Formats: sequence, C-alpha cells, structure tokens
Amino acid sequence: MDALGLLNYALFILILAGIYGLMALGLNVQWGLTGLFNAGIAGFFAIGAYASAILTGPAVAGRVGGFALPVPAGWLAAMALAALLAWPIGRVCLRLRSDYLAIATIGVAEIIRLTIRSEDWLTGGVRGIAGVPRPFGDLPYLTAQLAYLALVLAVVVVAYRMMERQLHSPWGRMMRAIRDNEAAAAAMGKHVERRRLEAFVLGSALMGLAGALFAHLNRSITPDAIDPMIVTFLVWIMLILGGSGNNRGALLGALVIWLIWSLSELATDRLPTEVAIQAKYARMFLIGLALQLVLRFRPDGLLPEARRTRPRTQDHP
Amino acid sequence: MIRKTLLVAATAAALAQPAVAQDARIGLLFGISGAISAMSPTMVEAARLAIEQVNAQGGILGGRTLVPVLGDSGCNPQNATDAASKAVNIDRVLAIVGPSCSGAVLAAANSVTVPAGVTIVSPSSTSPQVTKLADKDLVFRTVPSDAYQGAALARALLARGVRTVAVTYLANDYGTGLGESFKAEFEAHGGKLAAYQAHDGAKASYRSELSRLARSGADTLVIFDYGDGTGLTILRQALENGFFRNFVGADGMKSEAMIRAIGAKNLGTLLVSAPVGAGDAALEIFRRDFTARGGNPDGIFATTSYDAAFLLALAIEHAGGDRSKIAASLRAVATAPGEPVLPGEWAKAKKLIAEGRDIDYKGAAGDHEFDAHGDVPGTYALFRIAGDTFEAVTRME
Repeated sequence: MDALGLLNYALFILILAGIYGLMALGLNVQWGLTGLFNAGIAGFFAIGAYASAILTGPAVAGRVGGFALPVPAGWLAAMALAALLAWPIGRVCLRLRSDYLAIATIGVAEIIRLTIRSEDWLTGGVRGIAGVPRPFGDLPYLTAQLAYLALVLAVVVVAYRMMERQLHSPWGRMMRAIRDNEAAAAAMGKHVERRRLEAFVLGSALMGLAGALFAHLNRSITPDAIDPMIVTFLVWIMLILGGSGNNRGALLGALVIWLIWSLSELATDRLPTEVAIQAKYARMFLIGLALQLVLRFRPDGLLPEARRTRPRTQDHP
Repeated sequence: MIRKTLLVAATAAALAQPAVAQDARIGLLFGISGAISAMSPTMVEAARLAIEQVNAQGGILGGRTLVPVLGDSGCNPQNATDAASKAVNIDRVLAIVGPSCSGAVLAAANSVTVPAGVTIVSPSSTSPQVTKLADKDLVFRTVPSDAYQGAALARALLARGVRTVAVTYLANDYGTGLGESFKAEFEAHGGKLAAYQAHDGAKASYRSELSRLARSGADTLVIFDYGDGTGLTILRQALENGFFRNFVGADGMKSEAMIRAIGAKNLGTLLVSAPVGAGDAALEIFRRDFTARGGNPDGIFATTSYDAAFLLALAIEHAGGDRSKIAASLRAVATAPGEPVLPGEWAKAKKLIAEGRDIDYKGAAGDHEFDAHGDVPGTYALFRIAGDTFEAVTRME
C-alpha cells in the first residue's frame, strides 16, 4: 500500500459517497422535510441514469440512441425526466398516507426496473447501455478521478445550498408545518397536496441526477445497478443515521455508511476463504447494526434536525 | 464523529499493513453476495486451487508467494467498482480474476482497472457488451461470449435433424444472450421456432408458461437457464405434466444437482451443450485435482475460474511482476504457438519461461486463444446423461 494508492481509493470513496449523498439530500426533502415515505428511490435513480445514458451515448443498432448530446444536457434531462415521472406518480400516490405511499412507490420502482429489463429497444434490456461518455475520462487515472470528484462535489454543493435555502425559507417552514400537523396547516390555508407534490418532484429530480452521475462515472448502466437493496435501502439508512431533516446529516450519513460498507471488506479480506465468504454477508449485518445503535442511542440521527426549542421572542413574562 | 471516522480509517490501515513486500498479490473478485451467490463458492475454490498449485510448486517470481485477495463484486456495479478500487489501490494486486457479472465487469473496467492499467480476466461474464469495451487490451475472458454457444447449439440440433423447437430463456444477461444467438442461427439455417419466450427467475411454478409453450406443438423444449435454479423447476414441471418429450439446455443446465433432484432415469431425453477443453486430458487433470481438494469440478464456471487464475499466474511470471506488461504476457502464454502447458504444470511452465521459451496454456475450459478483443471462441460438446453424470455425445462445430 502506498500513498498514491490510498489517495486514489479515497477519491473513489468520495465520488460514490457524493453520489449517494445527492440521493440522501433528495430523500431529505421528501422524508425529512415533508414526511413522504418514498421507497422507490431506485426507480428515480434508474430513470436519471438511463435518460442521460441514452441521450449522450453512442448509436447502437436496434436501440434508440445516437443523440450524442453534451453531458450537461444529459444531466439536465435526467433531472427533468425524473421530475416528470415523479409528477403523475405524486398526483396519484400522495393522497395516500405514509405506509401506503411506501407500498405504492416500491411498486412503481419495481415497474420501472422490470420495464428497463425488458424493453430492449430503449434500454438495451438486461445488457444495459455501454459507451456512455465520461467527462474528463481520458485523463490519467488520478487526474480523471480528481476531475470527476470535483464535478460531483460541485453538484453536491450546489444542491446542498439550494436545499438549505429551501429549508430556511418560508417554504421550508410551511413544509415542516405540514409534516408535523397537516390539519393545522390546512386550516391556515396551506395547499397541502400541492406542497407535497412539489417536495416529491424536487427530491426525485435530485435522485435522477445522482443516477446520471453514476452512469457517466462507470461509462455504462445495467439493470443490476438499480437493485433496491443497494440503492433504496442504503439511502434510507444513510438519511436515518445521518439525521433526517438535516441536510448536513444526510451528507454525513452517506459518507459514514459508505465508509463502513467499503472499509469493513478490507477487514474481512484478511480471513481464510471459507470464513471470508461468510464474512461478506457480515457487512450487511454491520450496516443493520449501525442503524440499530443509532436508533437506540441517537434516534434523531448523528446530526439531528435543528429545532427551535425556545420561542423566538422572550419578552413576555 | 471525526474521531470515529479516523478510528475506522486507522483500523483499516493497520489491517492492510501485513502486506509483506515479498508477496505477489492477485485479486479474486467474485459475486459472493448477490444474484449468483450460489455459484461463487465453487468458483472461488477453483481459482484458489490454481494459486495453491503455484505456491506448492516453487512459488512465483523467484520463490515469492502468490497471495489471493478476495473481494465481493456482488454482481452489481456499486460493489464491483468498490471491490476493484480496493484491490487495485489498497492491496496493489498485479492482476484480477473477475468480476463475475457483465454489468460489474463493465463498470469496474471503465472506472477502475483500465484507467489504473490492471489486467482483468473474467471467468463468467458472457455479455457481448464486454467485447466492445474500449479496454486498451486489458480486459479478457476465459468464458466465451453468449454469441458463440447459442449459435453452435443451434447448428448441432439442426445437424441431428431437429427442425422445430420451443425456446424458453431466463430473462437475464445469460439467458437472453443465448436465446438471441440461438434464434438467429436456428432460423437462418431453416429451423423453426414454434415458441420463443422469456421467463422470470425465482418463481415457484412455471406450469402456465409451459402449457403455453406446449400448445405451440413442438416436442422439443430448449431451456436457457441454470440447472440448480429455476431451470430445475421448469424441467421438473415439464416432465411431471408431460408437456414435452425432448429437452435441450446449455452449460447452465449441466448440473449434477439436477440429476440428483430429478433422477437419471427420467432424464434420458435431455441434451446439454457445454464448453470443453480441446484436449480432454487438460479437463481430466483439473477434475482429478479439484475433486481431490474437495471441489465440484462440474460446478458452473469452475473450469473457467481455474483457468483465469492459472493464466494470470503464468502471465505475472512471464512479465516479471511488471503490472504494465501483464496483458501482453497473457497473450504470449495463452496463445499458440508454444510448448503446451496443461493445468497444474506450474513447475514445468516456470522452467520454460525462465529459459525464454514460448508457452501455450491448454486449459480445462479450452485452449484460450484470445482474439483481438480478449474473447475466446470456445469449443463445445453435446452431453447426455449416463449413470449419474454427463457423458459427451458429439463435439459441436
């Protein structure tokens, strides 16, 4: 192990943590701020990944493609399409209460996954799409990773700033009011359904963008990348562990969970094969254990949502 | 929190320390968790057999130990890139056997191993997408692309006078690839597909699918699936209900677990195609050695996993441990001409390499004459069941 290798590995971890962080930010708008239980993150991730891959990728016989749009256009389209898809889903599903919304979104994500697997003319079916361009991908290994990390971080920082502004704006206060007491917010004249739809669409657009970032990183996207186990549930754990309702918590949770996930394998590699094969499964157990411990000892997450515990004005007796 | 992160990082660094300078490391990335987890243990064991033989016969690069680094590529891009990044950057492996699944190979090659200049040999990725990868000649396979086997099977059936068949294939990379290439070749040479449909994995019953296939009138059913998975269910239910008389499968169906579950006497009308080594001697040596070690030589991708590890060991020795020369060396040791080397003949190969002679590895799964894309054409035979095992009937062209 040398310093250069360690650096390359660290860059790689940060890139993936950034992509997952973006999804956690999106989920934070939906769950942390608005209380929408979206269990279909993988679906929106997939829409974004495939949209950008199809629009920027090369032409292949028997499949829609060859538009060769510039990468930023692909990323914008990924957000737009994920948002566009979230809109009708939200219109139909957001009238359901939390657990029913979760079931509906799981169903939608599964429909998306099966559609992608079977519609060869659009998505390449089970073989997916290869040859997706990667920005700065032709540079040497270290520089290419640095450049891509800079891109991902820039996207994450912009998204984070926007989410923070939203959180502290009147819109953010209204969302929390709706989350905490829907009836009261409605009585105050707030349009509950429309606000929920806004949060749902906004969060889904971020998930779509994360999908696009992931597809371009690997220059390919295949249906096995949209397994709910490693997209939806991992993102949920990240947000819960980091602290739902807190954007910094969402990002921290993404980093911590990805570190546990990745570093724990280094430990299991040192074991003999027979044990090591079983120990690979212990990684999933570790993630679950981390979640249990956080829920037991810090139920609000590592960085809990900032709440006003005292009234703003203290001049009354 | 920062303290905790540092602690985790420090622990990992401490664990990574025992990297003794004298070791030569080789990465083994298999889909240990995930969709093909059932097949992985055998593949890992087969690759480890090759590494143990290297170490037992004098080691690599002048007496150094070849140390395997096992990673979980999970059959998905997220885990595969993560495992590859660790193998390449932290463990500093010289080359990698794996990853297992095609999506994992595409992602790991694109974002880690090709930029880092590390050679990978996948023993089980069969997607034609891997052929087209812009890989700077660093990505190889010891398993043929699906495009070959389906076509060869179609020609073999036509040669046996089978003109009309019904096809059902598992809706994944493997099944779809075989199905498509079989369909194209079978129809191009005058065969007729009475029915052609995909099925999803992990269902308890396929009776409705089977009855639909049976209504097509064909009496031969071609199943592209795994014999220790849903392929077994389909075959059993087709037999129980008398939907078809004859059955044909590809290498995934060449499973002894299936014979045990259904019984050899019920499988008299089953034919399966599977890759075979050019010299059956190579396969026999592998079977003997792997059985002696407690492995199942008929396990899916056991032979290709073994060959991938043994070939990379040869290439590392040939390249003198220089990461950047391993790909070129791999071509040199795998392709003709040269002194033939069979599985397990590490001491002999080492001596030949030291003498500067050209060698040509003849593997358990085939000759491994890599083409320009790093693919192998594969040689196949048709097998039928005799006693409790498979017996080759004819070679397929």
